[in-house]
Amino acid sequence: MNAIEIKNLSKNFGSKQAVCSLDMTVPKGAIYGFIGENGSGKSTTEKMICGLIHPDGGSIKLFGRDYTDADVRAKVGVLIESPGCFPNYSVWNNMKLQAANLNIKNADTEIQRVLKMVRMEGAAGNKYKNCSLGMKQRIGIAMALLGKSDLLVLDEPINGLDADGMRIMREVLCDLGENHGCTILISSHILGELEKIATHYGIIRGGKMIKEMTAEELEESCPTYVALKTKDINRAKANLACKYSRVEEDEAGYIRVYDAKEPEEIVTYLYENGILINEITTAKIGLEEYYIDLMKEGR
Amino acid sequence: MNAIEIKNLSKSFRGMYAVDHLNMTVPVGAIYGFIGENGSGKSTTEKLICGHLVPDCGEIKLFGKDYTNPGVRVRVGALIENAGCFPNSSVYQNLRMQTINLGLENPDEEIDRVLKIVRMEDSANIKFKSCSLGMKQRIGIAMALLGDPALLILDEPINGLDTDGMRIMREILVDITTNYGCTVLISSHILGELEKIATHYGIIRQGRMIMEMSAKEMDSRAQNFVSIKTKDMKGAEIALKNKFDNVKAEGEYLRVYDVDDTEAIVEYLLKSGHVVNEIKKNKIGLEEYYIELMSKKEEK
Amino acid sequence: MAQRELKFESPSFFKRLKGMLGVDFYRLFHTPMYYIFLAIAAIIPAMILGTSGMENPQTGEIAPQLYTNVWHIIAADSPLYVVNSIAEYANMNMVFIFGGIMVSIFIGHDYKSGYVKQLFTTHAKKQDYMLSKVIVGAFSMACMCITYLIGAVVAGLLTGVSFEVNVMSLVCAIVGKIIMSLGWASLYTFLNIIFRKYFGISIASSFFFGTGILIIGAAAILGNNSLLNIFLYGSSVYACLSANILTVLVCFVCSIVWAVIYTALGTRILSKSDVY
Repeated sequence: MNAIEIKNLSKNFGSKQAVCSLDMTVPKGAIYGFIGENGSGKSTTEKMICGLIHPDGGSIKLFGRDYTDADVRAKVGVLIESPGCFPNYSVWNNMKLQAANLNIKNADTEIQRVLKMVRMEGAAGNKYKNCSLGMKQRIGIAMALLGKSDLLVLDEPINGLDADGMRIMREVLCDLGENHGCTILISSHILGELEKIATHYGIIRGGKMIKEMTAEELEESCPTYVALKTKDINRAKANLACKYSRVEEDEAGYIRVYDAKEPEEIVTYLYENGILINEITTAKIGLEEYYIDLMKEGR
Repeated sequence: MNAIEIKNLSKSFRGMYAVDHLNMTVPVGAIYGFIGENGSGKSTTEKLICGHLVPDCGEIKLFGKDYTNPGVRVRVGALIENAGCFPNSSVYQNLRMQTINLGLENPDEEIDRVLKIVRMEDSANIKFKSCSLGMKQRIGIAMALLGDPALLILDEPINGLDTDGMRIMREILVDITTNYGCTVLISSHILGELEKIATHYGIIRQGRMIMEMSAKEMDSRAQNFVSIKTKDMKGAEIALKNKFDNVKAEGEYLRVYDVDDTEAIVEYLLKSGHVVNEIKKNKIGLEEYYIELMSKKEEK
Repeated sequence: MAQRELKFESPSFFKRLKGMLGVDFYRLFHTPMYYIFLAIAAIIPAMILGTSGMENPQTGEIAPQLYTNVWHIIAADSPLYVVNSIAEYANMNMVFIFGGIMVSIFIGHDYKSGYVKQLFTTHAKKQDYMLSKVIVGAFSMACMCITYLIGAVVAGLLTGVSFEVNVMSLVCAIVGKIIMSLGWASLYTFLNIIFRKYFGISIASSFFFGTGILIIGAAAILGNNSLLNIFLYGSSVYACLSANILTVLVCFVCSIVWAVIYTALGTRILSKSDVY
């Protein structure tokens, strides 16, 4: 069963098409990295999933049921941009308010549970306004988790976090996905961070889903290559082209050999031909490069 | 002349020092990367410079004048925490208000100009509250660029910007500093981005400036080394140590410090029977430098 | 590298004030709030006039007629610091209650949206902010006085109550109350500066002071004492249907003096403490 299944979803703001016939499938238990440029329709899609914006057309199913179903919606936790807490209240009181809003019975134990999940159990007494940005974002996630949420929709939760805040957030999210069976839809521009946790990716552009894939598929479609630098690039390229089928030069002035088995092989081969290498390394196309290439193709 | 000169600046909230006897010097025309953890006092310092907070003690001078001088402050553009726009007014209306506030002569042209810079020219009539996070951020930048700022104070301006947005942001900042003599104070956690444009760095920790330097100094301080990987690491290490002074095994790599000619290493290793698997030139970058600095202080 | 020379011209006081006033008036005219409050100021007197003396359709009872003369809803016959009934209390002074709430919302939005950051970054002198808010507040309250007058007259025509009045005194009373707008606006701006971090409290305090409850309380002990004219509410009450040119003068002096005091205090507080 899929946690989110969207078919043909559309939304216009005036004459501007924010989302147009978007399809999206998020399997249960996935950490789904939702990627796209500013203004590509990420937030709009997320807001529609949470029922904050009414779609013009299409269907949204959460856990196999329509998204307007109250039972299902009670299982959805949301953090869009910032938690929206009362600054003069303590973290605990803010959580209490949300617990009351959700009609949670034993609120105290529940709050303790979620605060522990986001590693904020020590800071419950702090006033919200005195919390650091990383703490605030984690409070937002804790709020989203209240009442045993099965689906978390997080819009750019790692914006503005320092290295340490980022690391804790990563650990928290991985823990939620692996040990608590949460499905997480997360959007971010910091692809390097996303790559460390996501199990699935969706790339959106101009309101359309242009690519959906699992992390394994991304892995497969991103080849490994040997990158090397020499002083005499042209001669090295000519030499390598005799032996290997796919030899390219990239923007940074490195020669990329895609079908080499071992870098040593290249080093010895070039040495035999009188070329000494300057630098050599084995690398892999990552999410960032894949994404940039994909964006270029469409232009 | 310095664009910003801060001496002994302190600000406490309920007995806790947010900024603790801080000194800071930002030369005119610099892009000053202001680095520190969340809660280290970056924003407080920026708010103090903009006159939003009243310092407990210390001195702030902008372009050689006291920071309370109205003439100087009119020329400060700021984006701190959020854009600070009225949610129910349109993007255009919000910018229009700022042009009135600054007394600009041809407001519509100015607004067009800044909206184009942040790629928002088609969104002028959208209400601010219905803008996405990235759009709001860009509006904040547009707002700060209005008029003719001599000093830009940008608090995490690249948060929530996409790759392209970051590139454009970089280009704008370099353009206004080199061509218009503007000075930029910018804070960010994305050190890799900062490193591409900053000419000066200030590292703050618990309200104190622990390091201030120019990008050139940073460069000269950062050590160059070559990292190498082979199948027979032990053998290669012994071989290298015979020829080079400073060889260290670090993680899964061998590091050879202070050598620039990688070819010579490759050739030498080949001749001594080691084929390199991986070899690359490295430099301790801002990120590594910063982490090292932070961990050092923690030990103390 | 073509570096321009950096020049800093200190803008004159009027240029600074013009910028700040420009923003505030632009906001005022581009937000529905101002027009809503103008409408409220017109509807309230009309409603009070219209509902008094009306027959209850269910019980057939006739509500007591509050006013026989339309101008009584603008001001009382003589200065009444102590009020015994709603009819004695309800007059144009109510504009200052609505005005207080409006000023609170207006300033509150500055802080809530974070726009103050732009204002205080580019304006080093806090005085600019205070003066601008006072002027805009006074302007909108003066406008509300006028819509109140229009609302009362229209409702008076419809209900057919008497229009008999000493025109000179009426004009003096209305002018006096319009002049009082300035003093009231400065009081509200001051209150909002004190409670700038607490939006709810600032609205409540504006309402509290706007009703003049403290002066009414003092008057209950002191009686109808003309010394009460040194207060904003006192002067506002003093501008009544027996007013003359002297009344206008009293209002003018009281309004200006309080405006200066509150603006100076507000400026001082702003410059000595954190903006938010």
